[in-house]
Amino acid sequence: MKLIPIPKEKYDEYKLTLMFDCYKWDPQYLDNNTVAPYALVITQEEHKELVQYIEKLDKETTAAEEYLNQHQELIKPLALPKRIRREIHKITNYEPDKHVRLKRYDFHPTIEGKWAVSEVNSDVPGGYAEGSFMPKLALETIDGEDKYWCMNFGENLVAAICSKVRAGGRIMLVHCTSYSDDRQVMQFLGDRLKEKGFEVIYGAADHVKFENGKAYSTLDGNEGVLDMVYRYTPLEWMIEMRRKYYKDYYGSTVPTCNHPIAMYAQTKRFPLVWDELEKNGISMATWRELLPETLEVKDAKGKEGYIYKPACGRVGDGISIKEACVDDEYKKILKDVKWHPKKYLAQKKFIAKPLETEEGEQFHVCLGCYTVDGKHAGYYARISKSLRIDSNAADTPVLIEKA
Amino acid sequence: MNIMTDKEIYRIWAPLGKKWTEWVRPVPFVEIHEYSKQYIVTPFEMPATDFSNEIYADAALIVDLPGAESVEWGIALAKQGYRPIPLFNGTIEQTGARTTVDNQSVGVALIQGAQELLKTDIPEDALPVFLLDSNRLHRHRIDVSVFDNSWDIYAHDMPSPQFFGNNGIHKIVVISDFIGNDLKKILYGYQKKKMEIYRMKVYDEPKKIRIHKPFDLDSE
Repeated sequence: MKLIPIPKEKYDEYKLTLMFDCYKWDPQYLDNNTVAPYALVITQEEHKELVQYIEKLDKETTAAEEYLNQHQELIKPLALPKRIRREIHKITNYEPDKHVRLKRYDFHPTIEGKWAVSEVNSDVPGGYAEGSFMPKLALETIDGEDKYWCMNFGENLVAAICSKVRAGGRIMLVHCTSYSDDRQVMQFLGDRLKEKGFEVIYGAADHVKFENGKAYSTLDGNEGVLDMVYRYTPLEWMIEMRRKYYKDYYGSTVPTCNHPIAMYAQTKRFPLVWDELEKNGISMATWRELLPETLEVKDAKGKEGYIYKPACGRVGDGISIKEACVDDEYKKILKDVKWHPKKYLAQKKFIAKPLETEEGEQFHVCLGCYTVDGKHAGYYARISKSLRIDSNAADTPVLIEKA
Repeated sequence: MNIMTDKEIYRIWAPLGKKWTEWVRPVPFVEIHEYSKQYIVTPFEMPATDFSNEIYADAALIVDLPGAESVEWGIALAKQGYRPIPLFNGTIEQTGARTTVDNQSVGVALIQGAQELLKTDIPEDALPVFLLDSNRLHRHRIDVSVFDNSWDIYAHDMPSPQFFGNNGIHKIVVISDFIGNDLKKILYGYQKKKMEIYRMKVYDEPKKIRIHKPFDLDSE
C-alpha cells in the first residue's frame, strides 16, 4: 500500500474536474483542502486479502442482524435510540432479497503489519462518487491504465438496484435537502439511475409516507406510489420528522436501501452483543480478529489505552483520541461520557501505521470497503495527518496494482 | 459573444493561486446555465460603497443580503480592492415542487458578476469579503409537501479564527439587516478567539457588537 502523487502540473485541473464533473462539491473543510494530491495504491494481494475479509465480515454482520431481529431480547446492550427501540420489533417480514443492503467497512493498516477495522457504516455510508468517478479520473490523470485498475462502486450499486426495482420505476432519494453535502451524493446516484431509465425524485424524509406495506411520495407536484425508497438520511434523524408517517415503515415491503434492519450493526455498541450471538451459534470470528477489543465504558475504567466512541457517531466525530482533539473537545467528550456512559463504548486504541510520501510527509489512512448484497463493491479512502480520520481528512482515489 | 462555461465562471471567482479562493463553494456554479435559465437578466446595479474607515484595515467582511444583492455588493467591494468569496450553498429543488428558497436567482448574478470581475484588478493582498444569501434561512413551509432547500452556513465553511489571525485579520464586519442564528454561532466562535465583531446595516456606520452564546450551540 502506498501513496502516489497526482502530478503537480495536473492537480488543479484534476480538482476542478472532480468538483464539476464528479460531484465533489465540498472541496474545503475549515482550512483544509479535502481533495488529496495523492492516489492510494493497493497491491493485488492486498486487494484479494481485503475482499476475503470484507465478504466474511459481511456474512457475519448479516447473520447477526437477522438473528438480532428475531431475538429482540438480546438488543438491550445496543442502546438504540428510544424511538427506534420502540418500533424495531415491527420488522416481522424482512426479506433480504427484496432490498439492497449496502455497508461500508473502514479498514486501517496497523504497525503490526495487519489490518484493523474501526467500524461498519451500516446505515447510510457516503462517498459514492469518490468511490466511482474519482479513481477513474485519477487513472486518466496519471496515465496509469497500464499499471493500475480501479473499481466503480456506483456501477455495482446501480446494478443491484436494477435487479430489485421494476424497470422505469419511481425511486425517491431521501436525504436532508438542506445539505448540499448530502445532495452531491444523491445527485450522483440520481443521475446514474436516470441513465438506466428510472424516474428519480429528490425528497426529504417528510415527503415519504408508508401505509399498508407501500410507500408514497407526498412531495409537492410529485405525489404517488414509490417503487423504491433509497434512504440517505440516518434512521435516527428520519423517524424524528414525521412519526405518524413512519408507523408502517418497519413492516413495509417496498424495496429499500437501507432497510431499518441496518441499525443493529450501525450502533458502535454492536460488539457488546457478540458474546450472546456466539452462544447462539452466530460466528463473529472475523470481526473478533479485526475489531479492537470493545467494552462498556464502566468496564474500561482504570484501564490504559482505551478511547471512547459515541454509539451513534458518524464521520469520526466525537471520538476521544486526545492528540486529535482540538481546543476543549477532549474535555467535553470525557464530560459527556461521564454523564451518558450508555451512549458510548470504550475501545482499545490500535496504533495505525502511517504511509510516507516521496516528500517524506506521513498520512494515516482509512480505507472504506463497500459491500452490496454481500459482495465487495468498491473502495473509498481518506487520508489525514491526524490519527483520527474525520471531516478534516482528504478524499483519495483507490487504485489497484495490476498483477 | 461566447457563453462562458460553468468552470470558467467559477475560475473567474476563484482564480488559481489567489488567497481566500479555496473557500469559494462550487455548488451554485455547477451547471449554472441550466439552473439559472428561466430568469430575465436585469441590469446589474452596484451599490456605492466607501470602506476607507480604519475599522476595516484588518477586517474580513461578510455580506449577508438577499442573493443577487449580496453579489452586487461583492463586486462593488472588489472594485475597492476586496476579494469576493461566494459561499452560496443551496441546492436546486425537485422538478415540479414548490420551494422555500429560490436558490436559482444567485446564478444569474454570479454570471453577470464574473463579467465585472474580468474588468477588475484585485490586489494580491486583498482582504476577503464573504458573500451569503440572507434568504437561505427561509424555512417556513406553507405545507409540509414543499421542498425545503433552505440552508445554513457552518463554521467549517469558513476560515478558522487561527487562519484569519495568521493573515493579519482580527475583526469581522457583517453587512446585514439581520444576523441569523447560523451566522451567530460562527461569529461567537470567532469572538471566543478574541476577534472583534462589527455589524453594519446597509449604508450605516459599523458598530461593535457582542454576540451572546446561541442557545443551541452545545447541542451540535
